[in-house]
Amino acid sequence: MIVIDLFLMLLVAYAVGFLYYGLYRNITARFQRRFGPPVWQSFIDSVKFFFKEESTSHGWMFYLGPIIMMSGAIMTLFFIPFFSSGDSFSGLSAYGNLFLVLYLLVLGPLGNALGVGTAGNPFGVMGVTRGLTRLFAMELPFYIAVIAIMSLSGSADIATIASGQTTFNAFAYPLLFIGALFSFIGMMGQAPFDVVGAPVEVYSGPASEFSGKFLALLMSQSAIFTFAKLVLMVHLFLGGASGFLELLLKTFVLFILVISFGSLYGRFKTPQSVDFLLKVPTTIAVVGLILATWS
Amino acid sequence: MDLTLFGLTDIVLSLKATSLANFFAMLISFSFVMVLFLAPKYVLTKSFYALLTLLTASLFLIVYSNDYLLFFIGWEVMSITTYFLLSFTLSKEALHKYIIFAMASALSLFIAILMLYSTNHSFLYADAHESFMLLTDVNSILFVVLMLFAIFIKLGTIGFHYWLVDAYEESQNLFTPFLSAVVSKMGVYALIIFVVNITQPAYVLAVMGVLTSIIATFKAIQEDNAKRLLAYSSIAQLGYIVTVLGVADGLGGALYHSLIHTAVKLLLFINVAGIIYVTGRSKFSELGGLIYRMPQSFVLLLIGIIALAGMPPLGGFASKFMIYTSLLDAKYLLILSAVMFSSASAFIYVYKLIYGIYLGHPSNKKLESVKEVPLSFLLPQYIVAIVLVVIGTFPALVVPYFNKILEELNLTAIPFTDTATLMTPYAQYNGFVVIGAFGATFVLVLLLFVSLRSKAKEAKDRFDIAYCGEEPNEGTHLHYGFGMGKELKRVGFISVILKNSSSYFYDFLAKQISALSQMTRKIYSGKLSLNFNIAIVFLIILLWWSLK
Repeated sequence: MIVIDLFLMLLVAYAVGFLYYGLYRNITARFQRRFGPPVWQSFIDSVKFFFKEESTSHGWMFYLGPIIMMSGAIMTLFFIPFFSSGDSFSGLSAYGNLFLVLYLLVLGPLGNALGVGTAGNPFGVMGVTRGLTRLFAMELPFYIAVIAIMSLSGSADIATIASGQTTFNAFAYPLLFIGALFSFIGMMGQAPFDVVGAPVEVYSGPASEFSGKFLALLMSQSAIFTFAKLVLMVHLFLGGASGFLELLLKTFVLFILVISFGSLYGRFKTPQSVDFLLKVPTTIAVVGLILATWS
Repeated sequence: MDLTLFGLTDIVLSLKATSLANFFAMLISFSFVMVLFLAPKYVLTKSFYALLTLLTASLFLIVYSNDYLLFFIGWEVMSITTYFLLSFTLSKEALHKYIIFAMASALSLFIAILMLYSTNHSFLYADAHESFMLLTDVNSILFVVLMLFAIFIKLGTIGFHYWLVDAYEESQNLFTPFLSAVVSKMGVYALIIFVVNITQPAYVLAVMGVLTSIIATFKAIQEDNAKRLLAYSSIAQLGYIVTVLGVADGLGGALYHSLIHTAVKLLLFINVAGIIYVTGRSKFSELGGLIYRMPQSFVLLLIGIIALAGMPPLGGFASKFMIYTSLLDAKYLLILSAVMFSSASAFIYVYKLIYGIYLGHPSNKKLESVKEVPLSFLLPQYIVAIVLVVIGTFPALVVPYFNKILEELNLTAIPFTDTATLMTPYAQYNGFVVIGAFGATFVLVLLLFVSLRSKAKEAKDRFDIAYCGEEPNEGTHLHYGFGMGKELKRVGFISVILKNSSSYFYDFLAKQISALSQMTRKIYSGKLSLNFNIAIVFLIILLWWSLK
C-alpha cells in the first residue's frame, strides 16, 4: 500500500505547490500595486507547455537533466513525512534520515546542471556557477541550525524531531531559526539571495535552453520541491503537524513570511550574497548553536 | 612472526596479519591490479616496473609490520622508490620539493620512534602505549608533534601539502592513480595505528582535518588543470578522514572513507589519464564538449563524481554518512558544520571537472575528431564503478569486515542487521530503498515524459542555442564556463583562504636558510689554513670542557 501512499503524497504536493505558486504571483502583484494572474494560471501554463511543439533537444544528457531534477524533487518529497506521527503520508521516511534529505535537496539541481552544461549555452553555465556558488554559502547557516537541532533532539529522524518539540524549536532557539531562515529564503529562490533570471521564464538562472515540455517539467518539479522544503522546515522548527489543516496552515504562514521578504528586497550579486551569508547568518547560527548546546 | 635482529635480544622485529593490515593490503592489491590494466598503453622502461613492484612490496611491509622499526624501513623504502618513480617525469623543482618533504617526514618519524624506544627498549606496537606514558611531559608533546608532522606530510594536510600537488600533476599518468589511491593511504594507516596504539590528540586532528578539507576544496575550485584539481580534492578527502579520526568512535567512518576514496580516485585519475592519452591535454581551457565523442568515459566520470561529492545513490554517501554521524555522536557540532560546508563546496569543483572536460563546447577543432578511449582504460573504470554502485546499494555489505577490525582493536562495533541498512547510533538509512526508489521514479518520469505527444526536435548543430538573439559561429568563444569559481576571489572571506600562504611561508624559510648558509660560509670559507685554525680552537674547547 506504500505505492498508493506515495502517489497521494505526490498528488497533494503537486496541487498545493501550484496553489502556493499561484498565490505567490498574486501576493507579489499586490506588493507591486497590480492584480496578478488567476491563481491556477501557473498550473494551466505548465500543463499547456507539456503539449507544446518546438522544443529543442541537445542529445540524451540534455534530455535527462530535467528528468533527474524531477526525480530529485520527488525523492526529497518521499523521504519527508507529512505528519509527525502515524504511518499514513509518511512515504519512505522510515528508510532515510535528515542527512539523506539534506543531500537529496541538491541532487536535482546538480542533475539539471549537467543538462544545462550539455546544451553548450554559456549563459546556462553562468547561471549554474552562480547557483552552486550561492548554494554552499547558503547551506552553511542551515547546516549549523539543523545539526544543533539534531543534537538537541538526539535523533536524525525527521518525525522524531518534529514530535519531540514541547515548545516550537523556532521559539525555543530563536537564533538558530533566524539563521536557518536566511538560508531558507535563498533555498526558496527569493530575494535577496535569488539567482539572476525571471522567476518563471528562466528557471533558477541556468535554464535558458529549456523550452516546451522541458520547461513544463521544471515548473512541475518546482511546485513539488517548494512544498517539500516547506514541510521540512515546519517539521524542524514549527513543531510538525498532525493533520492536513495544521500542515497547510503552518506551511502557508512560513510561505507568506518568505515571499514577503522576497518582495521587499532587491537582489544581491552572487559574491555579495556569499559574503553576506558567510558573515551575518552564519554568525547568528553559530551563536545560536553555542547558546543552545552549552551545558 | 618474530625476528631477533643481529643477536640483539632487545630488538624484536615482528610481522602480524591483523584484520586492519589485511584491509589495507586489500586496497593496495586492488589498486595495483587496476593500474596494471593501463600498462599496455604506456611505453615504460623495465626499471619503472621494477620500482613499482618494489614500492608495492614496501607498502605491504608497512601494513603488515607489527613494530615501528619495520614500519620505518617500509616508510623509507616507500619514500625513496616513489622518488625514483617520480623522477621519470617530474621537473627538477617539483622533484626537489618532494624529496625534501619526504626526507623531513622520514627523519621526524625516525626521531619519534627512537624516543619511544628510549624509554622501554621496545619497538612493538603492543608496548608503544606503555613507552609513551613513560615519556616526560615535554618529550611526549615533542613526540606527538614529530609523529604528526611525519604523517601529515604523507597525507598532504594543509601546510604540509606543498610537495603534493606538483608531484601529482607531473607524475606519470599511470602512476598518479596509484599515488592518490594507495600511497597517500599509508598516511591514513600510520595515523590509525598512532591513534589506536599510542594516543588520540582529538581536537588537533579534528581542527587540522577540517581546515585541510575547507582550504583544499577552495583551492581545487580555482584549478584549471584536471590533475591538479583532483590532487587538491584528494587532500580534501583525506582531511575528512583526519577529522573523523579525532573522534573516539571515528575509526569506522575513517575505514569506510578510505575504501571509497581509494575507489573514487582510481576511477577519476584513470579517467583523466584516458583523456590525456586521447587528446594530449589536461587543462579545462583546452578541452570541452567531449560527451558525445566519449559517452562511456562520460558516464564513468559521472559515477565517479557522484561518489566523490557524496550524493545519495552511490557509495560516497555511505562513508560521508558514517563520518557525519560519528561527529554528531561525539558532539563535535561546529566541526561537523564545517565538514558539511566543505562537502557542499565540493559540488563546484566536481561540476567543473565534468563540465570542463565533457560538457560545453570543444575549445579546439581537433577535439571534434577524437575517439573513445581504449578498452584498457575503460575496463578498470567499469570494475571500480560497479564496486561503487554495489556499495551504494548495500551500504552495510562491508560492515562485518569493519566490525572484525574494530573487535580486534577493542572498539565499539557498528550495529548490523542486514546488508542494505547502514546503522549508526544517531540514524540509519536503507541504500537499497534509496537507489530503488530513485531508479523507479526516474524510469517512470522518463516514460511519461517520452510518451508525451509533443516531440522535441534535435538541435541542428552545436551552435543552435539561445544566445541573446545573436548567432554564434566558429569564431565565437563559447567554452568559457571552465573559468567557474574565479569570482570567489571577490568574496573577502574566501580570498583570504586562497592566498598562497603556505608557499609564502616556505619561500620565507628557504630565504632564511640560504642567508644562514651564507653566514656560515663567512666563517667556513674553505681556506685550508682557516679550517685548521677552527679545528684547533674547537679541539681546545672540547679538551677544556671534558677536563672540567
